[in-house]
Formats: sequence, C-alpha cells, structure tokens
Amino acid sequence: MKARVSTDWLSGCSGCHVAMVDLHEKLLGLVEEVDFVRVPVLMDEKGYPKADVGVVEGAVRSDHDRQALEKMRASVDKLIAFGSCAVYGGPSGLGWLHERDEVFAAVYDGGPTNAGGERPDADAPTLEDSVVPIDEVVEVDAYLPGCPPHPYFIAAGLRAVLGASDLKLTSMSVCADCDRKMQKNPGAALCRGAVTADKDSLCFLSQGVVCLGSVSLNRCQAPCPKSGVACFGCAGPSVDLITEPHLDLRNMVGRRLNLLTGIPVEEVARYFEEDAKTLYAYAVASPVIHGKPTVEMRQWAGPKAARGGE
Amino acid sequence: MIQITVDDKACVSCSLCAEICPTDVFIWDEAKGLPRVDKPAECFGCLSCSEICPPHCITHEGVVLSESHYHDPYALRLASRLAADVGGRFNVPGDPASQTRAATDLGVRLRSVAEVFKRTLGGSLPAVGTMAGRTLARHLPRYREPRGLDEALALAVKQFAPAWELTTDRKGEDLTVDIGRCFVRETCEREGIELGGEMCVLFYNYLAGYLGQMGRVRLRLMEAERGPTCRYKVKIYEK
Repeated sequence: MKARVSTDWLSGCSGCHVAMVDLHEKLLGLVEEVDFVRVPVLMDEKGYPKADVGVVEGAVRSDHDRQALEKMRASVDKLIAFGSCAVYGGPSGLGWLHERDEVFAAVYDGGPTNAGGERPDADAPTLEDSVVPIDEVVEVDAYLPGCPPHPYFIAAGLRAVLGASDLKLTSMSVCADCDRKMQKNPGAALCRGAVTADKDSLCFLSQGVVCLGSVSLNRCQAPCPKSGVACFGCAGPSVDLITEPHLDLRNMVGRRLNLLTGIPVEEVARYFEEDAKTLYAYAVASPVIHGKPTVEMRQWAGPKAARGGE
Repeated sequence: MIQITVDDKACVSCSLCAEICPTDVFIWDEAKGLPRVDKPAECFGCLSCSEICPPHCITHEGVVLSESHYHDPYALRLASRLAADVGGRFNVPGDPASQTRAATDLGVRLRSVAEVFKRTLGGSLPAVGTMAGRTLARHLPRYREPRGLDEALALAVKQFAPAWELTTDRKGEDLTVDIGRCFVRETCEREGIELGGEMCVLFYNYLAGYLGQMGRVRLRLMEAERGPTCRYKVKIYEK
C-alpha cells in the first residue's frame, strides 16, 4: 500500500510547496511511492484526511496557523517541519523582532499602499503576539530546513521518514559540498555588504567576504558558493551552533576569518550585529539563536536599532 | 586511544585543524592538501579541530566528554532530529541522570575552590568574588556596553539562566535581586552545606561585581535572606 502524504502551508511564501514540483522526474517516482491526499497548491481538499506523513511549510503567526497545525498533527503519524520557516521561523520569523502593534502600525497605519489606515476586521485570522517555529506548538518528528528545501533532500528526507531509505542526513556544513579552496590570505580586508568575490576558486572567507557556509547546515549541496555567491545560511545554523550555547554565527565566522586573513574577530562580530537582520535572517525566531546568552537580537535588529539605538 | 577520522571528500584544505591542535596531532600533506593524523596518541579530545573545521568533517571516537548540565533540551531535541550523526559528534547528554551527574561534578569542584579560597584568603573572599565578576563582565562577548544598570540587569537575567533564575526589581537607588533556582543552593543541598557559607559569599559578590562593572555602578549589600529562594537587598551608588 502506498504511504499517504498530507501537506499544509502556514505563514510562509508557498516556495516550499513549489520546491516539491521542482523534483521534476523524481516527482513521478515519488508519486509511485506515495499518495498525496492533501496539497493546498494542487488540490481542493479543505479537511485533514488521515495520512502517514504530514509536511508543514511556514511558521505559526496567526490563530489560523495554530489551529491548522493542530489539526494536521492530529491527522498524521509523522510530522515533518518543511523549510526554514517551519523549522526556525525563517524569513517569516523576522516578525519576532517586533511587537504585534508595531507590525500593524507599519503595515496599516498610513503606509504608502494603505491610505485609509484601516486594520483587518474580525473576519481575518487574529495575529498572535509573535511568530514561532512549529515545534513550539506541536511535536515534530523530522526537520527539513532550506529556503526552499533542495529537491535532493526533499526526496531523500521523505523516503527516510517513510522508512524507504536508510540515508543518514549528516550534520556537515555547506563547506562540505563547496568546491572552493580555503587558504590563508593574510591582509585581506573585511568586505562589508559583499556577496561575491574576485577569485572563483578561492573560498569567500579567504577573500574577506562573509560567507555563512561554515556555520550553516548543508541541506543544499552548496549551489550558491559554487555559482559565485556567498552562502547566506538559508537552511539555518549548523548543528554545533544549535547544541553549544557559547557558539554563535558571529564568533565562529569571526574566528575562521581571523585565522585565514587576520581580520579581528571583534570587527566581524560588530558587522554581524549591525547587519543582524540579513545575516541572522533565517533563524531569528528560533530559541536556539535568540536564546543564546550572548545574542541580543532585538537590540541589534529590532525597532530600537531601526531608530538609531534610541 | 581516540580514533580521529577526517572526511577527505568534504575537507576544504584550510589547514586550520593542524594549526589549532594544541598537541600537533596532525601533519599537513601539502601535495594532497589534506591533514594526516600523525600522532593520534597525543590527542586528548579537546575537539578544537572539530570545532574550527569549516565543513565539520572531523570526527572523534572514544572521547570521554565531561557531561554538561547547561544544555537546552529544546536545542538537543531539534539537533537530534535534524541530523542522524549528532550523538557521536557533539557533547549531547542523553538523560536527566547524566545532567544530575554533571551538576554534582561541577558542584564538587565549586565547593573545593570555595573552600581553598576561604582557607587561604579568609576575609578577602568577597573581594575575590567581586574581581571574578568584573573579569567576567569585561570578557563576556556582547554587542555593546549596556546603557546603564537597567540594561545590565536585563542582560544578566538572560546570561545567568538557566542555572540561576534571577528576578530583579529596581526602585531608584534600591535594588532587590531574587534568586529562584540557584546552582549554588542546589549544590549546598546535595552536599549538606548550610546556606550563607563561602560559596554563597563568593557567588553574591561575583554577581555584584558583574552587575557593577556592566552597569558602571557600585553595589552595597544591605540585607540578605536565604532559603528556598534568596533575596538580596542592595543599595546602588553611582561611580
């Protein structure tokens, strides 16, 4: 009998669902193995039919998200947090930096596209106080981060959860799949804001460009650094940063940059703090990042920071 | 002996492992651009190489890690369901019993240090605690200096959690610090030590030194209540 798969889409952009279609011919193989019983972008199924595996995209931002997630959890045996929003809050999680009223004020009160200043009425889902990853609401059995998840890992992850494959997802970082050579390059300066570098075969860090490859979980096979763009950590932090409270993106990138180029760790750390909204973009709402003793995300990137530290 | 494995395919040839190893376990193979484990017997399992390794491709087998009591169960659950090799690679305690063992282990060390300090330093004990707290405040990484004591207090509440559960209440020059869960109190209870001894003195002054340095004030203890929760009443003096 085919395994039944049900999917849902909370506060996210639907990109993770589109990524499933990106499986191309692999999708056909997957359709032979599984029965999709609920996929919001493909079929008009409003209920939550019983399924073996539930795949949830997006974070929990509204009471609708919460109720949908609870119904999904009750209807499936195993639940996968699919994509960085579901796992860490992802880009949706940037809302965690602000109070709910600040969000309303920015969007509805006198914004350029909202002349009337009207706020949504009772018919719209109620916005919760903040954005949370789905595992703060329900039990999650497996995590597949990525923005969106990479087709290889979607197929591999689904098969692993279904017990159809014994593939083990490792805790290596993006560097493991990157072709660039990491070499000493004393004297290179920190390139603030840069996402590309001159030399194609040399590691970005060796060239003073902040690349998050070494602090990001490899769930992508490193397409960005291979194509000339520094990694921006869309699959969230590497496992050592999650388990060890004293390790953080800024101090680990800083230490490596320092050993390779001599750029002071403090200079790198300061850059990460000033540009926190970009460099921590994918896991801001996750307690594994904002709960770290040395991370002050709301001070770095919240409304206080936007007003120049007042 | 500790078995060190380097995944050659994942290695990015940075040579940081060879550079950082305090006992020169690796030699660098220039031709292949790979580290070679040369003296595995010298490895004492500090895991520096594993920590700095950009692709995270160095693994150790047979390392006896001291159990740590400060891990966040949420983070551990997430990590173990994110990748299949977490248990072997990082210091992940499995059960509550191992956390209790870790706490006992650390508690015994804390008690020993406090006793030695008291015997050798006697009346200087509070000053030692204060100096240690100031040193911590100078070295703990943070974004920028807190703007005054209120920000320092908010930061301290977060930085001391979860081993210490601090609640602070400031009214002008009067500060009340309530300590709920306290690692020192738990250690005293486990070891059968009365509260208010050298460990409490060291810790109170450590906290005061830390807050004073961070908030750029001097703090003077006015009143201390100790029990299932502790309350310290403190006077604040501007520096």
